[in-house]
Amino acid sequence: MTKETYLHEKHVQLGAKMVDFAGWHMPVQYTSIIEEHKTVREAVGLFDVSHMGEVFVSGKDALKFLNKIVPQDISNLNYEKAVYCQLPNKNGGLIDDLIIYKLGIQSYLIICNASRIDEDLNWMVRNKRGLDVKIDNQSHNYSLLAIQGPKAAELMQKMGLNTQQSSFTIKAGEVCGIKVLASRTGYTGEDGFELLVENEFSEDLWDKILEYGKEFGIKPIGLGARDTLRLEAALHLYGNDLDETTTPVEAGLSWSIPKDKQDDYNGKEVIMAQLQNGVEKKLVGLKMLDKSIARHEYEVFFNGEKIGKVTSGGVSPILGANIALAYVKNIKEICTGTIVQVMIREKLHDAEIVKRPFVPKRNRITI
Amino acid sequence: MSITEKILCSKSHEYLLDNENGTYTVGLTDYAIEQLGDIVFLELPEVGSEFKKGEVFATIESVKAASEIYLPVSGKIVEVNEALVDAPETLNEDVYEKGWLVKIEATGDAAELNDLMEYEDYKEELE
Repeated sequence: MTKETYLHEKHVQLGAKMVDFAGWHMPVQYTSIIEEHKTVREAVGLFDVSHMGEVFVSGKDALKFLNKIVPQDISNLNYEKAVYCQLPNKNGGLIDDLIIYKLGIQSYLIICNASRIDEDLNWMVRNKRGLDVKIDNQSHNYSLLAIQGPKAAELMQKMGLNTQQSSFTIKAGEVCGIKVLASRTGYTGEDGFELLVENEFSEDLWDKILEYGKEFGIKPIGLGARDTLRLEAALHLYGNDLDETTTPVEAGLSWSIPKDKQDDYNGKEVIMAQLQNGVEKKLVGLKMLDKSIARHEYEVFFNGEKIGKVTSGGVSPILGANIALAYVKNIKEICTGTIVQVMIREKLHDAEIVKRPFVPKRNRITI
Repeated sequence: MSITEKILCSKSHEYLLDNENGTYTVGLTDYAIEQLGDIVFLELPEVGSEFKKGEVFATIESVKAASEIYLPVSGKIVEVNEALVDAPETLNEDVYEKGWLVKIEATGDAAELNDLMEYEDYKEELE
């Protein structure tokens, strides 16, 4: 049975094209993916991302527990701060990627991918043995609305939110009198907020944001543009760019892993060895040199030899070029500037390895 | 007579228009384009190439995905819409006047038309 968010009716009324995504009936686009994409880059867009999972973790051993399941050092996570994390298995392969928030003493919030909630919970329960920790899946009680774009902060301020908060922080607040947990995060490369709200207030919040947002040129944005936006920002999509056979080091996420974390965590041995000795495959950004489009699973070649495959690919409406993320053999000849080929419908098409992100991120806000 | 009254449509959403000069124009229906969304890439065959009914003769890509386009009747390509390859987004505005794909000379027999539908019936079939 396909699930619906509390905003489902709103999407249908707005004429959205609906698709099944990770077991949810979600809007893929309202008008045009390219138009919606540009709205987020130039003004502000509103996303319903209520399909994502919210898991509250609390108890005397909450910190110890989190430090056991992620490579990041949660001991360094201060009150109202957020950190991007991964959930590795014993081999360093990724069960999911997450954001962990510190809400209070011994109290944390995990936001995880919709498609992985069950796997994540199973894994967490297996890892809590002997620890005094409560894992409370509240995904069914909360809606999540993302407001993203250069005008997002101005809009939120106008709606009464105290926007004096830096990137990767979370604060309890009110938007037009509606109680929210406001996180200054997103999945677009732009500045913006993700508002966690109890389901019963979500429709009201949605309507008010669209109403107040009119003067800023707001539009509702579907999952189609969410994907093209995150690809331009070279943000990983779980299931495409990350999975249980891929470690965070291979995925180009070494920047997120502390080298000096004391606690033992799942996959630490593999991850630490890879940080020290290197990896067999690495994630790179590709820019197609012709009009062709590289897609998920297309093979990548170098000097006639197969060296890897594309995990995410598509158009970049901002660059006017086609881009992709691919895993390739980690050898020094294959680096930024190297021309490789992507096999598309039995023909090889040139692509250049370029730096990630493809479009500069503008989401680092320090207050 | 509007253009939709003259075309025949296939279940895979191609249309066929009899130009009454021995050639047919082939394109994608407005419904197909609406379903695909923003069109960003188009690959058309070379003039002179021949395809059987139901064979893939072209590829179209929207932001979301790549799709194959099938020839609704057997034919030889006599003209391709080069302007459309350079500006595939035109398809989102118009699929008949500016957004046609290729012109063909039919090489099969008339029975190949039997499973094609008039536009009204095609629309009904979709509902």
